[in-house]
Amino acid sequence: MKENDCIDEVVRVKDVFFQYHGQPVLENIAFVIKKGSFTGLVGPNGSGKSTLIKLILGLLNRRERGEIYLFGTPLEKFKQWSKIGYVSQKANSFNSGFPATVFEVVAMGLYGKMGLFRFLRKGEKEKIDEALNTVGMLPFKKRPIGELSGGQQQRVFIARALVSEPEFLILDEPTVGVDAASVKKFYQLLLKLNQEKNITLLLVTHDIGVMTRYVTDVLCLNKTLHFHGTAQDFETSDLSSVYKHDVQLVTHEHGGFHT
Amino acid sequence: MFELSLSFIERGIVAAMIVGVIAPLVGAMLFVRRSSVVSESLSHVTLTGVSAGVLLAQVMETIPMNPLYIGFGFALVGSLLIEKLRQTFHHFQDLAAPMILSAGIGLSAVLMSISTAGYNEWYDYLFGSIISVSPSDLRFIMITAFIVLLIFYFFQKELIIVSFDEEFAKVSGVSTKGMNFLFSILVALVISMSMKVVGILLVGALISLPVAASLKVARSFRQLLVWSVILGEVAVMSGVYFSYHYSIAPGGMIVVMSVLLLLLFLLLPSLMHRKQEGSS
Repeated sequence: MKENDCIDEVVRVKDVFFQYHGQPVLENIAFVIKKGSFTGLVGPNGSGKSTLIKLILGLLNRRERGEIYLFGTPLEKFKQWSKIGYVSQKANSFNSGFPATVFEVVAMGLYGKMGLFRFLRKGEKEKIDEALNTVGMLPFKKRPIGELSGGQQQRVFIARALVSEPEFLILDEPTVGVDAASVKKFYQLLLKLNQEKNITLLLVTHDIGVMTRYVTDVLCLNKTLHFHGTAQDFETSDLSSVYKHDVQLVTHEHGGFHT
Repeated sequence: MFELSLSFIERGIVAAMIVGVIAPLVGAMLFVRRSSVVSESLSHVTLTGVSAGVLLAQVMETIPMNPLYIGFGFALVGSLLIEKLRQTFHHFQDLAAPMILSAGIGLSAVLMSISTAGYNEWYDYLFGSIISVSPSDLRFIMITAFIVLLIFYFFQKELIIVSFDEEFAKVSGVSTKGMNFLFSILVALVISMSMKVVGILLVGALISLPVAASLKVARSFRQLLVWSVILGEVAVMSGVYFSYHYSIAPGGMIVVMSVLLLLLFLLLPSLMHRKQEGSS
């Protein structure tokens, strides 16, 4: 344990290659995410962003080559999943026909580490209220999740990830389908989590313009890693202009689908 | 023993009451998992198992064995097979269910015609016959109900999280493979226990109709479970009552009551709305 405490690396990805049906998706990926950072992972559609996240979370495990470490432990041996919170692209994984209240949804964030026999106790209910309060959704506690707007649902899912008090939070395209006003509030919430609660953040997005104003580090991905450095360095790099052009084109095309 | 001291009509009612709780309970979990159809094809595989059990009992008269146990065994194997087929032939998911469904019922008809039991007994399993619930059948129903409740008690949290968001469940460290296996067991248990009460052809109704009606009023998952069980019990009890007084087949009557309840709950909002408009 002592050894792990000294390591201030949350994620270490080393020489990772990944193929899908013989097509290379990721090639020679290597980077480190330091404790306390707020990293933006950007890249056009089909650049392998979600694949990389799924590899880090152990949701995909047919890695061709390379190693991944979480909190200094090899992924294969990593067991402390409550240290990691995950907010996925809402539309893909959430079962919208499920008649659950906001409270019930957030409670699920605790299920993984509760084990057999145990039911929600007072302390756990307070934790749920606290997580809902952090994202500003406490007044909606008893509402069915299906009745909320996209932005509100996204906040509930963040509360679900926060309730187990993670040290590292991964968010995959969380602002897709969320209106512009909510996006700004959303980034301010992330900043609060990063600075006040000292949660390390990894944000996957194709919305490069807004993102660079908030994050500390940028990872630029398109099959291979094109850039890894601070947000300031990224702004002044050639890549920034190239990517901005590319990515915003993609964003624009997508706008039609999501709004 | 409790099940031996009851008259045949009491045994039937107790069996129906137990099934009225368990079937909608499991049905609610299946519904949110969007796999209600699976139970439909599995019920036919269970029928194959029961037919095999009936035949086996005739061949080996010395070993007293309730065909329902063999039915459960077949249901479990079929359940695992469907899960496997769904994963292997990802693009042919819709094919797996009807394939197993028709194979199951065809094989069952063949087995039944080989055995000398005749079609009366087969008919009982097809449409249910609560007056023919034997003490051994009731014991089977009580054991399976107990196992279902145990699984629910221990794994409720895990089953819910897997149904709601499978990816999040994995990231939380919940074994989705293990939970999918538990789901298979639950489905096999509930189908084999419902067989004598509503029968194979009607068990799907008792699993899905009370849940569908509850969805109209439930505001949380807890409420969905409670409403499903209440409506399931109302359907079962009123079905038994009417079938007794008007000598109608109970399995069919239970299903008809479930359909009426569902219609009532579907129409309820618009009826109330009209009333409000009228008064204002």
